Amino acid sequence: MSAASGGQARRAGAVRVTVVVDEEHRPGLAQLCDGLRAQGMQVEQVLEQLGMVTGEVPENRLPSVRRVEGVVSVEPQHRHRIPPPDAPVQ
Amino acid sequence: MIDPSRSRPTERRRAPAPPPETTGRWVVVFDADLPDPEPLLREAGLTRVATDGQALAGPEGLPADVDALVFPVLKVAVVTGDQERLARLQAPGQGAARVLSVAPELVHRVRAEVPGGWAEYLEGYRDGVVDLSDRLISRGTPEEEPSPTPQLPPWFRDDDASTWGLKAVQATTSPVSGAGVRVAVLDTGFDLGHPDFTGRNVTTQSFIPGESAQDGHGHGTHCIGTACGPLAPGAGRRYGVAHGAEVFAGKVLSNEGSGTDAQVLAGIEWALQNGCAVISMSLGADVTEVSPTYTAVGLRALEQGALIVAAAGNNADRVNGNFGFVGAPANSPYIMAVGALNQQLDVTFFSARSLPVRGGHVDVAAPGLQVYSSWPMPQRYDVISGTSMATPHVAGVAALWAEATGLRGRELWSSLVQESHRLLSPSADVGSGLTLAPQQ
Repeated sequence: MSAASGGQARRAGAVRVTVVVDEEHRPGLAQLCDGLRAQGMQVEQVLEQLGMVTGEVPENRLPSVRRVEGVVSVEPQHRHRIPPPDAPVQ
Repeated sequence: MIDPSRSRPTERRRAPAPPPETTGRWVVVFDADLPDPEPLLREAGLTRVATDGQALAGPEGLPADVDALVFPVLKVAVVTGDQERLARLQAPGQGAARVLSVAPELVHRVRAEVPGGWAEYLEGYRDGVVDLSDRLISRGTPEEEPSPTPQLPPWFRDDDASTWGLKAVQATTSPVSGAGVRVAVLDTGFDLGHPDFTGRNVTTQSFIPGESAQDGHGHGTHCIGTACGPLAPGAGRRYGVAHGAEVFAGKVLSNEGSGTDAQVLAGIEWALQNGCAVISMSLGADVTEVSPTYTAVGLRALEQGALIVAAAGNNADRVNGNFGFVGAPANSPYIMAVGALNQQLDVTFFSARSLPVRGGHVDVAAPGLQVYSSWPMPQRYDVISGTSMATPHVAGVAALWAEATGLRGRELWSSLVQESHRLLSPSADVGSGLTLAPQQ
C-alpha cells in the first residue's frame, strides 16, 4: 500500500469521481443519474447496493454536480497500490 | 494459546486475594428459553417462591419464609438452601438441562479505595525511589536482588501443523469453519489452478479491464489463503482460518497491484449482491482525509449485513520514530481497521498508528509478520509481511464468529471487538487487541 493519486480521466480537464447519493434518492437512482448527466457528468457505474455513482466530470462542473438534489458528496477517486510481489512488506 | 501462567511479572507478584464473602444462599441460572422456572423450583422442594425483587428491601432482607426469589426476566433465582435441595435441582431428570449453573451468592461492596491518604502514598513512593537507587548503586551484588523468574510473553512459531498466526488467533482449536458464510476478498484475484483449493467453492470476478480474475501478482492468492485456506493442505502446514467458508475473489487490483476507487466500489457492490457477510480489503491509499465515500460504503454494507475489514496501512517506520497513520479506506468509521502484530504479539515496525480523527483508529490487530500462505503456482507458498496479511486473519475469524453466532453487520463487529484478547501495546496501535476465534 502506498501513496495515491486519482484515477486517470479520459478527457483533459476532467476528474474521475465517486458520487454518494442520500437515502431518500437511492430508490430513484436512474433519475438522479439523468440530473448528473445534465450537469456534464459522464456516468460510468451505477452502484445500486451502495447508492453511489462513479464517472467523470469536467473540473469546472464539479460545483454544479455537487448541487444536484440528492447528492451527499462528490469525491475525486483515489488509486490504491500494493507493492510488487517480491517486496517483504505488503 | 494465551497461557495465564505466562502472564507478566507485575501480575504475578500480587498478594493472593482473600476468599470472597458469601451469604449462604445460592444463585441459580436457568436456560434462557425456559418459560417459567417456578415449577422446577417446586419440584426441588423450593415451594415458597417470590417473584418481586422488592421483597429484598424489607426490614430483614429476604423474608425467612421465602425459599426462592425468582427474577423472571433474567431467568435467574436466588435460593436458600441446603445442599440436598440444590442437588435435587441439578439432578439428571429433574430438569438439570434447564439449570445452567448454581453458584454461591456473593456479597458485593463499593470498590475499596487505595488505603491511606497522601502522606502514606508519598512515603510509599519515597520508599520505592530509595529502593531503586539502592539497587542501582549496588549493582554487581545480584545475590541481594529478589529474583522473580522473568516470564517470557507468548512467542508463537510456525510448526508442521500450522502457521504461528493460526495458533495466535486460536483458529486451530475452534470448532467452527465458517461453513455457510460467504467471504469476499477484494484484491489481485486468485490462482484458479491452486491445488490447495481443488473442490472448493470459489467464485471469481474481475473488475480490471483487460485482465481475467487469475492472480498475476500473488497478493490476492496469499490473502485468500489466510482467510479461507484449507484445513489440510496437500503439502505443508495449515495456513487458512475459515476453511469451510465460501470464497468470493474479486479482482479490484491489477496484476501490477493497483486499482481505483471505482474498481474497489464495484467489487464491494458485487460482494453485497452475493450476500457476503465479510469483505476483506488488504488495500489502501496513504491519505489522512476520511473519505465520505467509504464512510457511506462501510455503513451501507453493515446495514446489509456485511462487515468490511481493511488494512490499517504499512506507512509506519517505528524503528526511526515514525508511527505513520491509518489511511483510506481503513480510516472510515464503519470499516474495521486492522493492525499487524509480530510473533510476540507486539505491534510490527511498519503497522500504522491511529489517526486522531473520528474513525481514524486501529480497531483490532492480527498476525502480520512472516505470514506463510498460498501463492500462485508453481511456487505454491510464500512468506510475506504487512497489515495486508493481518487483515485476512480478521476476515477469517469474522467468518467463524458469523457461523458460530449467526450475527451479521454491526453485531458481528461488536463480537469481534468484544472477544479480542487485550494487549499491553497502546490501543492506538492495536485497538481492542488480538482477534480470537470462537472456542467450544
